[in-house]
Amino acid sequence: MHNILKSIVIVCYFVSVVLADGVKNEPIQPLFMEPDLDPRLVTLGDRLFHDTRLSQDNSLSCASCHVLSTGGSDHRARSVGAGGAVGGIKAPTVYNSRYNFVQFWDGRALSLEAQASGPVHNPIEMNSNWEEVISKLSHDPAMMEAFDTLFEDSITGDNITIAIAAFERSLVTVNSRFDRWLQGERGALTEKELRGYRLFKSYGCISCHQGVNVGGNMYGFMGAMGDYFEERDSEITEADLGRYNVTRRIEDKHYFKVPSLRLAAINPPYFHDGSASTLDEAVRIMGRYQLGREIPEGDIKDIVAFLFSLVGEHIRLKP
Amino acid sequence: MKMLKTFGSKRSLLLLSLGVAVILLLTVFWDDETQNYAELSHHLLELKEMDARLDRDVFRITSFLLVQYDPLVQTSHRLRELKEKINKKVSLSNRVLSDLFKTYWEGMDEKLDILERIKFQAAVVRNGIHYLPIAAQELKAVDPNAYRAILELLNSLYTYDLFYTDSLLEDINSTLKQLKKRSPSSSVSQQKLEHVLFHVDSNLEKLMELGALKTRYLAIPSLEYFEEIHSKHEQVRVTETTKKRRLIIILSVVVFVLLLGLWQLIRSLQKAHQEVNRAWYRLHDAVDNLSEAFALFDAEGRLVLHNRRFGEFYPWLKDWIIEGVNVSALQSVTGSRIQNLSLEGDAVFGTTPMGQYLEQVDNGAWYLASNNLTNEGGIVCVRSDITESKQAEVDLRKLGRVLEQSPASVMITNTKGEIEYVNPRFERVSGYSAAEVVGKNPRILKSGDKTKEEYAEMWSALLAGKEWRGIFHNKRKDGSIYWESASISPLRDDRGQITHFIAVKEDVTAQKRAEDQLRMNATVFETTAEGIMVTDADNMIKTVNPAFSRITGYPAEEAIGHSPSMLSSGRHDNEFYEALWDSVLQKKYWTGEIWNRRKDGSVFPEWLSIAAIPGEDGVAKEYVAVFSDITKHKQDEEQIRYQANYDALTGLPNRSLLSDRLVQAIGSAHREKWKLAILFIDLDQFKMVNDTFGHVVGDELLQQVATRIGECTRESDTVARFGGDEFIILLQDVSDMDAVANIATKVIKKITQVFTLYEREIYIGASVGITIFPDDAANADSLLRNADMAMYQAKGRGRNSYQFFTASMQQRTLERQQLELDLRLAIERGELEIYYQPVMDANHDRVISVEALLRWNHPHRGIVSPTVFIPLAEDSGLIGPIGEWVIKGACKQLSQWQNSGYHDLKLAVNLSSRQRELGLEASYLKQILDDNRLSPDALNLEMTESLLMRDTDEAITWLASFKALGVNLSVDDFGTGYSSLSYLKRFPVDVLKIDRSFVSDLPSNSEDASLVKTIVAMAGSLNLGLIAEGVETEEQADFLVGIGCYNLQGFYYAKPMTAASMTSWLSSGFQETGTT
Repeated sequence: MHNILKSIVIVCYFVSVVLADGVKNEPIQPLFMEPDLDPRLVTLGDRLFHDTRLSQDNSLSCASCHVLSTGGSDHRARSVGAGGAVGGIKAPTVYNSRYNFVQFWDGRALSLEAQASGPVHNPIEMNSNWEEVISKLSHDPAMMEAFDTLFEDSITGDNITIAIAAFERSLVTVNSRFDRWLQGERGALTEKELRGYRLFKSYGCISCHQGVNVGGNMYGFMGAMGDYFEERDSEITEADLGRYNVTRRIEDKHYFKVPSLRLAAINPPYFHDGSASTLDEAVRIMGRYQLGREIPEGDIKDIVAFLFSLVGEHIRLKP
Repeated sequence: MKMLKTFGSKRSLLLLSLGVAVILLLTVFWDDETQNYAELSHHLLELKEMDARLDRDVFRITSFLLVQYDPLVQTSHRLRELKEKINKKVSLSNRVLSDLFKTYWEGMDEKLDILERIKFQAAVVRNGIHYLPIAAQELKAVDPNAYRAILELLNSLYTYDLFYTDSLLEDINSTLKQLKKRSPSSSVSQQKLEHVLFHVDSNLEKLMELGALKTRYLAIPSLEYFEEIHSKHEQVRVTETTKKRRLIIILSVVVFVLLLGLWQLIRSLQKAHQEVNRAWYRLHDAVDNLSEAFALFDAEGRLVLHNRRFGEFYPWLKDWIIEGVNVSALQSVTGSRIQNLSLEGDAVFGTTPMGQYLEQVDNGAWYLASNNLTNEGGIVCVRSDITESKQAEVDLRKLGRVLEQSPASVMITNTKGEIEYVNPRFERVSGYSAAEVVGKNPRILKSGDKTKEEYAEMWSALLAGKEWRGIFHNKRKDGSIYWESASISPLRDDRGQITHFIAVKEDVTAQKRAEDQLRMNATVFETTAEGIMVTDADNMIKTVNPAFSRITGYPAEEAIGHSPSMLSSGRHDNEFYEALWDSVLQKKYWTGEIWNRRKDGSVFPEWLSIAAIPGEDGVAKEYVAVFSDITKHKQDEEQIRYQANYDALTGLPNRSLLSDRLVQAIGSAHREKWKLAILFIDLDQFKMVNDTFGHVVGDELLQQVATRIGECTRESDTVARFGGDEFIILLQDVSDMDAVANIATKVIKKITQVFTLYEREIYIGASVGITIFPDDAANADSLLRNADMAMYQAKGRGRNSYQFFTASMQQRTLERQQLELDLRLAIERGELEIYYQPVMDANHDRVISVEALLRWNHPHRGIVSPTVFIPLAEDSGLIGPIGEWVIKGACKQLSQWQNSGYHDLKLAVNLSSRQRELGLEASYLKQILDDNRLSPDALNLEMTESLLMRDTDEAITWLASFKALGVNLSVDDFGTGYSSLSYLKRFPVDVLKIDRSFVSDLPSNSEDASLVKTIVAMAGSLNLGLIAEGVETEEQADFLVGIGCYNLQGFYYAKPMTAASMTSWLSSGFQETGTT
């Protein structure tokens, strides 16, 4: 008995040592899939995520703007909602959103569940409400059976968001080449990409884009070292006000959630206003307004190469 | 019991209160508050830790030690979760605490807010610190002086980063101002310098902001808030604990008091229990000393109480009878040892019957058993031993059964003569039930034939104590009388006193009956109409009855002692008598017809039954012969036989007898090698007589004919009436054919002589066909058929002649049969063809109609004449389908002609009377006409005169049905038969066709000419159409036209021709004649 316990303790010790030693001590940490999800809930969420009945005119589902195969966004500067209404902000990717500390560009949702009900009610997105959605879904026996099995109170708005959020939590792009490099795989990154990563750190991009999600864990001021909006040469929109829209504090104007760069390479255009159509341009603008520096083209290429190495894998993702 | 109940309710009340108190006590101990408090304490601990961690991380950020913010995010997430959890708990409990928490959370939220800003501010500052040396390095190349100044500035800046003091800040700001004012050595250097200064400037600004944020962050007294919360929390805890302790003490006291009460209760309960035990013991003792067996089972069937006797009653249950044992267990051990009987002795089913019943144990014991339900649903069983009384009862019952089942009627009366008992036999015999007679006097049975003296004598004997024997003639309840032989004797008690009388009686009615029967039998014997003779074992007559004497003429005294052979008629041989005696001896009887002789010598038939009467040893002791004179019966039989074999009208043998005779005659002719002749006589004109003068005259005529034929034959010959007007003469032992011919001649001669009937002179004729055995045929049927055929031949040769059957006739018969066979197939083989011959209107030289004529193209014989095959078709019935085929085909053809322009063309089709019998109906004809869209007027049905002559009524109806369709009818061959005006009037005829035989010799034959003229005149007067057939020459045509007959048919105009030829003939303007 003691021997068994002893060996278990020893094995655990080695595993922890190996794991601890396996991952490099870097400001970016590898993505991981947390085994905390109920597969039935995920399946239901998957169905709801793709269900157009969530929109008022049955034309849109979550997947309409968050196209899973191409990267979890719609590649538009502004998304098109029910009845062709154009939204005010660039749709962020839904992948790895569980590792964002808050949701939406302005952080107005503290959880994925709170986020999920947002677009449903947004008049220029799905333009619907729970009452309407539930009355539509109630006519679907298979759907009702799934709800009856999983929830004591069957179908409710909250339960719909719980299911959708569970599905979204399963959308994690693990095993990127960069992560493999972090975990010690030699040759996972090219010289150029490694050079890009070093530049990414030395220029100071890393100060905001860090953590497992390479961003998504803090707010940042758009134009820390230069007036971005002044020089953007277009009207300041409500969306441009950022976190101010939530807190109504002057100091929060143009404050945005620092976006994750995990799938930045495959989700153009960039920034909350989708104003930068290429990654090169986005890096250049970031250098100019956030670092107060003009980054040479060669360095930009290297940084972009690094950013491509951040793209991981998911069964739905086929970029 | 009541006491126990009271105890019970008190106890439960007490226990309940105790339970409640204990539960309360436990609740106080394990209060939710405690749980809440523990959880809240735990949360507070965690909260404090998280707060500390937050503070630590803020310091790490501002010291630029934290490279990534994920852990920070986790901490703030955790804090938010804690806030939610704590708020849930706190809002429930304490307002003060809740307010404290509110202040705390406000502070905390602010802290988190500031943290978020610090995160960004620190990032920017860190970037600046990191970049400034690089920017300065770039300046070094272009402007080393400026570089040095900048380096100094950066040193001050980093120092300020570490210890920010206002004096240092002032120094830095003044240095910065100087540097900005500095004139550059080149534009590149100027640009570089400005870039560095911009970064220094903004870094300083961000650093200060960061510092301000940090100061704000540290200014939030979250720890103080926390301490307040903590102390408040502890205070609440203390208050709660004090309250709880007080409550526990109170509850403990309550529990103690209740326990005390419970102890008291248990004590009194024990007392009561002892009381109960004593009572139980007394009850047990009482029960145990019962003489009856006793057992009590509760509602579940468990044994509760029993006594010793119970065990003694059922010794096999000794080891089983323990308290608590189940009744079903006892029953299964008992098995079939006990048989349950009702008090009446019937078997009782069910294992535990309720109420009273008897138990019979296999060891011979009898128990009176009683099972009753108790109030609570248990069973009380009581058993008392009644074996002894049961034994006595059994004995008594045995004696009783003797009486009950006695074959003699038994009646017991008391000394007063009142009936006290009668047995079932008495009931059966008298018809009175016991209930009806008990208490009554036996004189209810009296029929009244005994005198008072006899009764007095009986009573005196009985009262003297003597037995009396005698016969009663008694009356049953239903009034019928029966005989009883009775023996009545007095019954004495132990002291010798007469207490009762017992009458044992036997029904002797049957004996009496037997005597009566004998008497009756004797009467029957004396009076019956059938002769009876009894003989002894040696077959000597013992006795005879008067009928015997009447039938045979022998008086009894002459018969007795003699053998029955005195009656023998001598008509039966020995074999007959042997068979008779065989049957009597073996089967014990014989019945049959026998001829006997009377005393006067006359012989008579009798129906005799002989029965052997066996003695006790089974050997026949006597024989009884019963017979009746069946002379009359015999005569009746003869009559019937005669009627079956003889023709009632003429008295001649009928067909059936003739057949017998013929078969016999053939047999003897065969034996004796002689010949037979059969003469088949058919009367000519007889039908005419019958139709004209009626059946009475016809019958009279037949009788006379029979007489006349009889006169022509010998006695040994047979003359038979074969049917209708046909007679047969069977001549035996024929050697000379001339003699046969003579007889035939004689018969014809006799018949052709005038008959005078009812003052009328009637002439008829006869045709005779003759056939000879064995020359012509070997059997009766063939002979008769041959004779028939020969007769027809004779008839065909002209009336009043005879004809011997010949081999050629035979040949013809066969040929005819073959031809008939061929004809049957002719339609299928397409050998039949319809030809058409036109009928011309000579006046206008145009065709008015065509006559359809049938042709048979036989594969071997070539063209077969209609005169040959039409009669054949009629005889065989083939005329039915053939006739329909012709009508159908001809109508179709006519329709084609009409459609091709000959609209008025008509069609004539021949009709045979046989077609009526074969079912040709107007409806069928109508169908054909409709199918071909023909007007009925276009069709003309031709029939021969002979058709009109036969079966007149039905024929008229038949023809009328066609007429009703609108079809025309014409008479063919008019003038050859019995043309009669009256017929013409009665039939719906439209057209007459003058027979070719009258036309052929025209106009030279004056007789024919005048006949034809007459016909024309007649047709004119009857308004009938007219057609002359067989017109072959111009002279004939001219003559006929001359006398007013315009419609002509014959070779002069056209031969019959095929439909195709006819078509072309019609179209060519009647130039060519047909192909045939």
